[in-house]
Amino acid sequence: MTDLTERERVAAPEPPDSPITLNTDEEIVPMWRQRIRIFVHNKLAVASVLFLLITIGACFLVPFIHPTNQTNQALTFGLPWNQPPSFHHWLGTDSSGFDELGRIFFGGEYSLTLGFFAGFITIVVGTTYGMISGFAGGVTDTIMMRIIDAFLSIPYIFLLITLISIFNRSTVFLICIIGFTLWWGNARIIRGDALLIRNLEYSQAATAMGARKWHIIRHHVFPNSISNIVTVATFSIADAILFLSALGFLGLGIQAPPTDWGTMLQQGTSQIQNGFWWEIYPLALIFILVVVSINYIGDALRDCFEVRLLER
Amino acid sequence: MFAYIIRRIVQSFFVLMIVMLFTFSLPYFQVHGIVAPAYTVLGTKATPYNVAIWAKQHGMDHSYFYRFWTYVTQLFFHFNLGRSYKENNSVWGIISLYVPRTIWLAAVSLLLTTIIAIPLGIYQASRRNTFGDYTATGVAFVLYAMPNFLLAMLLLDAFSFHFPHLPNSPPQGVQAWAMFTNPAGFILPVAALTMLSVAGLSRYMRGTVLEVLVQDYVRTAKAKGCSGLRTLFKHAFRNALGPIIVLLGLSIPALLGGALIIESVFNYEGLGIQTVDAANNLDLPTVLGITLLVAILTLLGNLLADVALGLVNPRIRIEGNAR
Repeated sequence: MTDLTERERVAAPEPPDSPITLNTDEEIVPMWRQRIRIFVHNKLAVASVLFLLITIGACFLVPFIHPTNQTNQALTFGLPWNQPPSFHHWLGTDSSGFDELGRIFFGGEYSLTLGFFAGFITIVVGTTYGMISGFAGGVTDTIMMRIIDAFLSIPYIFLLITLISIFNRSTVFLICIIGFTLWWGNARIIRGDALLIRNLEYSQAATAMGARKWHIIRHHVFPNSISNIVTVATFSIADAILFLSALGFLGLGIQAPPTDWGTMLQQGTSQIQNGFWWEIYPLALIFILVVVSINYIGDALRDCFEVRLLER
Repeated sequence: MFAYIIRRIVQSFFVLMIVMLFTFSLPYFQVHGIVAPAYTVLGTKATPYNVAIWAKQHGMDHSYFYRFWTYVTQLFFHFNLGRSYKENNSVWGIISLYVPRTIWLAAVSLLLTTIIAIPLGIYQASRRNTFGDYTATGVAFVLYAMPNFLLAMLLLDAFSFHFPHLPNSPPQGVQAWAMFTNPAGFILPVAALTMLSVAGLSRYMRGTVLEVLVQDYVRTAKAKGCSGLRTLFKHAFRNALGPIIVLLGLSIPALLGGALIIESVFNYEGLGIQTVDAANNLDLPTVLGITLLVAILTLLGNLLADVALGLVNPRIRIEGNAR
């Protein structure tokens, strides 16, 4: 069988008119597929993506399959509070009598949604600001960067607390406050990219051929800084989730009856001396794994945009 | 060098002005306008008449620019940040009471971070991709992904409630000297804060040293027969020192932010707890005053880092003189 195919292949006529001899063994792989290949090659990154997808899926779907009461506190005296894991409550109940497992999913909806939306706002604003600053140059650039310096010099958590004390504490405001204040660092990175690429030879060539600034931004700067944009966006999501948890700890996070992971961890850890491990460790494990996997995906994305790792 | 420092000071001053403009303007964006805190201070039953009187007492009937001018001149010439809405004290009084405590916590942690993170970075970079490197990276990754308060709480659980029985809170006295009455109380807060900042820095530290280690002059040093340690400390470390100093300077905001959480966990009355309390009471002069002060501290830290960078790096020193 193999012999036959071998002979057939030998016997097969050469393509009549092909001026260039293509190496047919290696088909030309499109860039994005090479990138996916590099990403998939990184087993830990794939595991992180899977874990993240499972967590997101669980947070948004499990409450439909297995609904638990997450709005009404158990007011009956005694029994339902701080129950250890049992058949009815797989991860026990917390200090208000909510089913802990259901509450992890319930809080996860808010934490993850907020993280992703805030990360998205961050990257849109940061990229725009950085690009404008990098491209404007001169006095505009200096002023825009000094503004960034000013905000970076305020420790972020102080800034958040200040803003939250001034604006109201609804979930949408929290997303906006975190999203619109986490982008200073990103803008700096993107601005550095824009400045670098603007002065590279192909951009100068494009300028010499009469390309407008907008054209250079769209066709040269943006595609070449996409690696940084994507990476930074991923890290912003992780940071947003972390900062939300810090706010939750200070009691400034998402206000009850909804909850978020930070608030839950705060409630759990306030019981730490009683040894109610089920209120802390399962959630802490999930939380840390989520943030670690987001960070890891960021690292892997940086690798897969690294030109040196591409095949050609 | 001198010109360089002057240039950096002028730059920092402009940055500080932007921060001041920001902190001053923020209250105008409240939902009920600038008089919103009146309802928190006077209670929900306050009549419009009461609110108007309260606003007049706090000089809110003046125009924006007049108020900003007063704010700036009062701050620069009288060190006056206004009076707290809630406590019968000036903001400066509150700050001067608590700032030594926060600075003490942050400074000790910064010192420990320097002592731990630099050797760790050198170790990780020189033993790249070995078991030790992976372990350190893994631990740093997990610590970095952990909410600050969770780490502090777990430390508290492990080392205070269980075996070693370390004190679970630093000394509580308000006077500055009270900090030194029970040094053992600082072990856990300082350890938590140091772990956090080392975790945040170690990846950069490793990268910085690694970048230096692949330079040509390191290869030359090895080629001419330098021993490993001599290469590391005479050639690599000296050149890595610049970026490391910049990193330490940039880590100050994170350090002060971490101190806020650590203070809340260990119930250590410092600027952090004051900020949170003031924010919950809508005591804006206090919140904004502390924010401004913390920004000034950060700017000072960055300035010091830049000056130190000029001292260790002759190239910057000469450039500064040339301009």
